[in-house]
Amino acid sequence: MGSRRIAVLAFLLTVILTGSAAFGAAPVQLTFTVWSYSTDVILDNIKKFEAANPGIKVALQDFAWEKYVDVMTARFVGKTPTDLAYSSDHWLQQWAAANWIVPLEDYFPQVNAYKPDFAPYAIEGMTYKGKLYGLPYYADTIIFIYNEEMLKRAGFSAPPATWDDVTKMALAMKEKKIVEYPIMFQFQDITPWYIEVFLSMVYSYKDYRMFDTNLNPIYDREGSAAHKVAQWLVDGMRKHKIINPASLETTEIPLVKAMGAGQVAFAVLPKYNLADLNTPGAHAQAGKFKFALMPGESHGTVGFVRFYAMTKMAADRGPAVREAAWKFLEYFGGRTGNEFVVVKRWALDKGLGFAQLPLYKDPQIRAAINKWGNVTLEEQQAKLARAKEALTPFWGSWSLEFQKEMNKALLGQKSALEALKASAAKWREMKK
Amino acid sequence: MPPRRQYRETRYAYATVLPVVLIVALFTLYPFAFALLTSLREVVLYRPWSQPFVGLKNYLDVVRSEFFVASWQHTLTFVAWAVPLATLLGFAVAHLLNARTPLAPLLNVVILLPWAIPTVISGIIWAWIFNSSYGAFNGALYSLGLIDSYLPWLSRPRSALACVLFAHIWKEVPLTSILYLAALQAIPEELYDAARVDGAGALAALRRITVPLVLPTTLIVLVYETMVGIVTFDLLYVMTGGGPAGATSLISYYLYNSMFVAFNFGQGAALAVLLALALVALIALYLRLLRSEEIYAT
Amino acid sequence: MSGRRVLRSGLPVVLSLALAAYILAPFAWVALSSIQPEKELFRVPPRWIPRVLTVDNYRFVFTGRFPAGYEETGIARGRISEKARDALPALRNSTIVAVSVALANLVLGTLAAYTFSRLRFPGAGPLYSFILASRLLPPMAVAIPYYLIVNRLGLLDRYAALILIHTVFTLPFTVWFLTVYFRRVPPDLEEAAFVDGCTRLQALVRIVVPVTAPALAAATAFSFMFSYNDFPFALFVTSTIRSQTIPVIVANTAINPDVSFGVVAVTVVLTMLPPVAFAMAFRRYITRGLITVTTTR
Repeated sequence: MGSRRIAVLAFLLTVILTGSAAFGAAPVQLTFTVWSYSTDVILDNIKKFEAANPGIKVALQDFAWEKYVDVMTARFVGKTPTDLAYSSDHWLQQWAAANWIVPLEDYFPQVNAYKPDFAPYAIEGMTYKGKLYGLPYYADTIIFIYNEEMLKRAGFSAPPATWDDVTKMALAMKEKKIVEYPIMFQFQDITPWYIEVFLSMVYSYKDYRMFDTNLNPIYDREGSAAHKVAQWLVDGMRKHKIINPASLETTEIPLVKAMGAGQVAFAVLPKYNLADLNTPGAHAQAGKFKFALMPGESHGTVGFVRFYAMTKMAADRGPAVREAAWKFLEYFGGRTGNEFVVVKRWALDKGLGFAQLPLYKDPQIRAAINKWGNVTLEEQQAKLARAKEALTPFWGSWSLEFQKEMNKALLGQKSALEALKASAAKWREMKK
Repeated sequence: MPPRRQYRETRYAYATVLPVVLIVALFTLYPFAFALLTSLREVVLYRPWSQPFVGLKNYLDVVRSEFFVASWQHTLTFVAWAVPLATLLGFAVAHLLNARTPLAPLLNVVILLPWAIPTVISGIIWAWIFNSSYGAFNGALYSLGLIDSYLPWLSRPRSALACVLFAHIWKEVPLTSILYLAALQAIPEELYDAARVDGAGALAALRRITVPLVLPTTLIVLVYETMVGIVTFDLLYVMTGGGPAGATSLISYYLYNSMFVAFNFGQGAALAVLLALALVALIALYLRLLRSEEIYAT
Repeated sequence: MSGRRVLRSGLPVVLSLALAAYILAPFAWVALSSIQPEKELFRVPPRWIPRVLTVDNYRFVFTGRFPAGYEETGIARGRISEKARDALPALRNSTIVAVSVALANLVLGTLAAYTFSRLRFPGAGPLYSFILASRLLPPMAVAIPYYLIVNRLGLLDRYAALILIHTVFTLPFTVWFLTVYFRRVPPDLEEAAFVDGCTRLQALVRIVVPVTAPALAAATAFSFMFSYNDFPFALFVTSTIRSQTIPVIVANTAINPDVSFGVVAVTVVLTMLPPVAFAMAFRRYITRGLITVTTTR
């Protein structure tokens, strides 16, 4: 190799290096906080995002799910640099009211173009005072799961359509000694799913509202949807003995395991459990589980959404950071090219649900979901789902009171209506 | 002692004692003062911008809450069972450990195991064993033909508390029995020989020699077990979550909930102060009772 | 042999067997669960003698390879707790913290206890009582202030935070225990050393420490155990695997929505190993140390 050529090469190299240094000067550094779930996948997504967007660097910080709210509260109050964060419909009101996260449409009007793509419950769950605060990370619904074989053995060819059907079928199964307690719930005092399951049963009624427009509880009135559900539960447990009394100590995992072992015919669970239940290696009864629209008048249910949010701190850092943040949000929760790349990956690799309705048309997704579920039914249920009402900052503590009171009714210490009244009184006290 | 040496000794004394005092003070005086001050304000974590002074309101709210009364009832029930059981069983087991049976060496090793593992781990194990859907306890009763179908042990208020108590005793008896074993081994054999010569039976020897001589140990065991019982938290966290319907929500679990679930730090702090005072009072009471007993016995 | 004699020699053996079974049964149950596939654990009634044995659960914790039945990738993969894979780093964290706490107790506790047992100085009584009384504060009562102190010191999620807190909680016992013990060592030996020109510290290290080694070992063991077993404090002041200890990780794993029980059983078995080994090693000292202390009025 001649020295001339080396000189030319060196020159070219210098141009490339200085040039790229000039253009990519000082990459934008973004801090992204998540709860610890599949961090290896998140890191890999970040790597791909950085490769597609030179000049943006993302630092990931993860915290245990159970402590995520505490940690984030501490970070926001203490102004620890945080640009993008996982959030949830549960915390939206609190975080938005405290001005910790900002409405995306104020900064990125182009976000509105995404609205027609999202399931209504997800938009509702990400909207505060009429403005959209995020793009979905994942979203899912609470569904009604049944063991098809047990149902057939009891002589039924179709799943229940109303709660009375559920009672009738459960009694038949009990009588034929197919299973002693056909129905099981996860009603441990403090399990967060308790209230979600209860509400999804309430939302299956036409007149489903728990609160009036001023956030005053109306669910403690006689004959309300909540009263009907509570009474149905109390009867199922105490009168008909079709609900497993062990429900009161049960949380999500034990319920799924008991169902997989063939001890439960009917359960109300977050949808992703269906994928697990039908995994052959994990459960003796795998393959026998199906899902039906939530029994009831309207077949409504609860839908929940976890989303990517931008913090006030990021918005205040200037246009360069905001631009980088939007690229990030769009890459993770929106479209790249014409595909929801990251959302689709979560759905295919991990079985997470999604609010991006166009994905239901994707043949890969359809095939994957149909392996363990029913994509048509799923889409239908997603459209019937709604976000929880009145997610005030004290919603979490109220739900604990609610669950404890409801369990008193299930133990026969009070009537269903008394239990509802007691927790409604707590709500009124907390609202002051 | 010459004053020079006296001075040097004093300096040495402070140099060795003060590190311990300071580090303990940092983590006692400040926290207690902080808890006291917080308990007089309205501090709710999701309203960080406003923390008005509210006087004794938190205390009143806490004391008037139905859960306060209920959780104290559960706590006292729990302690009323746990303390005597851990003490008596510890005393009995110590005799087995001390007996010259072929199994004693093995037992002396085995007894350390429950004590050595973290409480939260033992809670996980016992929650699994008592589980109503697939637990080994139900399985054993069923296999033995004692029950026809699995029973919901952790889903009924009384049996749930009993399950927690069972797990608690399993974890606590090893320590109490080791303490009693130490006390038993320190009693001179001649005392028993003398009693036998006097024609005293085994029971009389137990009453007149063993029980009085292990009294200091009994005092330690009672105080320690009462404290441990009242602040039980780990087991509830993993076994019952305080349920069903709050039936196993003991006072420190209730405290945890008001702080870290409801984020009401003001009320949590008020509860904490009340709990600390109750502990001090209880222990003072014990010391008094046992001291007078001791004097009376000798 | 009379019936009474049989009873007297037979009864303790029977009772001992019952006691050993009572203590060991839960351990055996967990150990058996850790070597069975998930499906087998949910039979009604359980199989008392396992039918299918596997090391898959262990392999998952050590290598991250999924147990059979969980291998299928894609949407239909069952859930298994990835958190469980943190058990090994958490064991390391726990051991580092517990050993540091034990050493801190050994050094600080010995120095202070020796002084309390031998020297008279203004404030000795009140300071001693203060140290002992500090133990009366219930852990829950100080959780938030501890969190704030640790936060202010910039030690959240660091080993140092746990080491500090555990040391504070164990020192009162160590100081009391060793003070009582040292008082029983005759001071004549040290007096001779002083004549030879030894300082207090030299006398302590060269003469007292060797004679009281069993008690020091017992105190060290107790503080190690406390630190290793602590759950509430570790729950509050740690947030990532950088400092999370094994009780936190196992509790998180067990209540995690991704969990496989066989894998939890593995983490439980792993958790038990260090303290059990420690208890075995220090068994003699624990009893011997306690004999002296509990019989001192």
